[in-house]
Amino acid sequence: MFVASCSSRKESTQEVNLYSQRHYPVDELQYKNFEEITGIKVNVVKANADELIERLKNEGKSSPADLFITVDAGKLYKARESDLLQKVSTEVINENVNQELMDPDGYWTPITYRARILVYSKERVQKSELSTYEDLINQKWKNKLLARSSSNAYNQALMSSLVANLGPESAASWSEGVVSNFARDPKGSDRDQVRAIAAGQGDVAIVNSYYIGILLSSEKEQDVMAGNSVEVFFPNQGDNDRGSHINVSAIGLTKNSPNRENAIRLIEYLTSIEAQKVYVNNSYEYPVNVKVEPAQIVKNWGEFKVDRLNLNKLGEYREEAIKIFDSTGWK
Amino acid sequence: MEVKNSRFIIENKRWVFSSLLFSVLILLPVLVLLLNFFNGDQTTLNYLFGTVLFDYSFNTLYLILLTSFTSFVLGVFPAWIISNYDFVGRKFFDIALYLPLAIPSYIMAFTYIDVLNFTGPFQSFLRSYAFLPSDLFNIDYLQIETLGILMGLSLYPYVYTASRVSFSLIGSNYINVSKNLGLSSAQTFFKVILPLSKPAIISGLFLVIMEVLNEYGAVKYFGVNTYTSGIFRSWFSLGDINGAIQLACILIIFVLLLFYIEKKSIKNSQFYYSKNSDVFSGKLKRSNKNILFFLICLIPFLLGFIIPVISITNNVFNNFHETNFTKLFELTRNSIFVSSLSAVIIIIIALFFLFVNRISKIKSLSFINNLISLGYALPGAVIGLGLILLFSSYSLIGTFYVLFYAYIIRFLAVGKSPIKSSIEKQPESFDDTGKNLGLGPFKLLRQIHLPVNKYALVSAFILVFIDVMKELPITLILRPFNFDTLATQTYEFAVEEMLPLSSIYSLIIIVLSSVMLLILKKFVDKQLNVS
Repeated sequence: MFVASCSSRKESTQEVNLYSQRHYPVDELQYKNFEEITGIKVNVVKANADELIERLKNEGKSSPADLFITVDAGKLYKARESDLLQKVSTEVINENVNQELMDPDGYWTPITYRARILVYSKERVQKSELSTYEDLINQKWKNKLLARSSSNAYNQALMSSLVANLGPESAASWSEGVVSNFARDPKGSDRDQVRAIAAGQGDVAIVNSYYIGILLSSEKEQDVMAGNSVEVFFPNQGDNDRGSHINVSAIGLTKNSPNRENAIRLIEYLTSIEAQKVYVNNSYEYPVNVKVEPAQIVKNWGEFKVDRLNLNKLGEYREEAIKIFDSTGWK
Repeated sequence: MEVKNSRFIIENKRWVFSSLLFSVLILLPVLVLLLNFFNGDQTTLNYLFGTVLFDYSFNTLYLILLTSFTSFVLGVFPAWIISNYDFVGRKFFDIALYLPLAIPSYIMAFTYIDVLNFTGPFQSFLRSYAFLPSDLFNIDYLQIETLGILMGLSLYPYVYTASRVSFSLIGSNYINVSKNLGLSSAQTFFKVILPLSKPAIISGLFLVIMEVLNEYGAVKYFGVNTYTSGIFRSWFSLGDINGAIQLACILIIFVLLLFYIEKKSIKNSQFYYSKNSDVFSGKLKRSNKNILFFLICLIPFLLGFIIPVISITNNVFNNFHETNFTKLFELTRNSIFVSSLSAVIIIIIALFFLFVNRISKIKSLSFINNLISLGYALPGAVIGLGLILLFSSYSLIGTFYVLFYAYIIRFLAVGKSPIKSSIEKQPESFDDTGKNLGLGPFKLLRQIHLPVNKYALVSAFILVFIDVMKELPITLILRPFNFDTLATQTYEFAVEEMLPLSSIYSLIIIVLSSVMLLILKKFVDKQLNVS
């Protein structure tokens, strides 16, 4: 590894620079495979998406970054609004990626997607009692709901989607209703919400789909035990309903990308069948390439209807969403 | 004795000038923040005041209180016992009680929740025996109170160290006098010793409070929004940099106030350590409360070190086959590199400042000298983003220059404090003798102050080394491409809820820091003996 990084410095043209919010072990694997196939060295800086946006903004034209990778389309929208991205479209990408998941404006390319769904206690809740996100404010869930804090980007994205779909006033009264049904103050990770259900501290939690996959596939007995105490539920699946909220992990090409061609090759590679298979089997996210199936654990939950909202709205309504959280006391 | 040495005075001026220049460099991010205070309008600030800021400020103060109380209890009592009584395990605990400092607060928090939660080993164990009260412990551990205790567990060594040194220096005269006046041991402790050691304990607590203000990973995990979270919320989520700057300025003012209190309490009590009391007479008392003493010392060590280390080690073994040793080696090398280099730079700068302050005797310089410690109180991410504002148009972000610059701003105070207390103890006659011999400032520094303060320099090196090794937000945001450290890797796995995978990296941080702490203990002892 060390030798490789030394030699690549000499042939400086063959590299691509990433600012990434993703830091899963699977990413390193992908970049290593890409390097082996193309000989293009992948350089990465990993940090919080907002911090990386600040860095890109201030670096301006002198930024070394070619690609900006996030786990939230909203952050890519924010980067684009700050004039940090350029459009990308190639035949290979269009061939690889499910058109329904693409950015309508062409500024970012999704590489995986994840659903923010509900999990419920196998012991204490019947599947038929659940239906939609909106129904979570029903009195019957008093002292039974669990979720993490509103500083979490996944919750902010979910709230943005509700603002976009239902309007700010309905979203605010939804937030108020959820807060009054909370079993405890929002805290911990998604995994901790599942553990709290196992512990009997609450019955229904809002979590990201892949965390359940990670729990169930864990080698730790206690993780599997927590994972097995709950069942997955996809909300808003009715015939006339909009579907469950999803968000993408996606890539944007920076406006001043110094290694543009290498960067586009990397996007093409990450959306290819080969790389998509690596994603689904390691991080339990959903593939964006229609020719690839999700991991078996994920497939077992069944197929679901996806909320087709333009994901740029998740960025557009972010500030509104945060203000709703603050004014309704979702900590 | 007034010494006339014209060369000394001219060079002295140059030194003062360059020291001022350095201070400006170090205060630059703070100055930039303060200058921008009136730039923004009041919208974000009004919004935050109207919604969450009261809650955030309350949480911050409450967390400071909880953590300080825990640190006080866990630090002061063992320090008193070890300084005065002989009992089984005393020597061992005198070293062991430092060790929790090797565990970063966020690792402490993540690890304990892993142990305590419903499916974790503690509750599973209780459930497997019907006669144990398993329901009693099935509670929500993600509470601000738990967080305060856990942070206290990893931070109490600051109070322990400070009070241990103070208790040793107080000497037996005071104790004898108070005994003669008919006070019991407990009365002596609370009525005589504690008031005498107030400045030491306050300076220990001061460090604890700074760490609480800076904590990011653990508070976020516990869903406890502190004042610092407010800065991030306004900067990132609401995209209002001016609002964030205004909040940061209020934090700076709060910290300045704490500074003032700390300095004042130390100033008011400098006469307490009398030189003629028999400090190291070696007369440790024997007591019939051996078991109680043993327990009082065992609890902080057990909870603050043994339990988390066992849990982490257990995870390491369970995931051993997944360990990537090439990477582990690389990250360890990176961590040692940034920690040792920044420690060296910081002790050079700290020594320079303190030395110039000493030879020049200008009052305002000593004020500035205190001011440059301010960086320690600023959240790492605020320093990082301040530097991004300053430097990114020069393509300097992502270079080691700016990374080390940020470490210097943040940790100069840590390196300064042991050197300061050592240099202040050296009699002025040292300088006068040097001047009489015709030494310029540089030779005076090299030939006299460097050797006599060497133990303090080593202590400073170690303290900075450990802090940089644990450092998170600055390294995350300012690091060069492909540069990971043990801390960043640990954090990335932990926030992605893959705690077992992070354990090998946290274990290396703990082992390296523990070794450094053991060395530190040796040097602190030597320093005590020298004085």
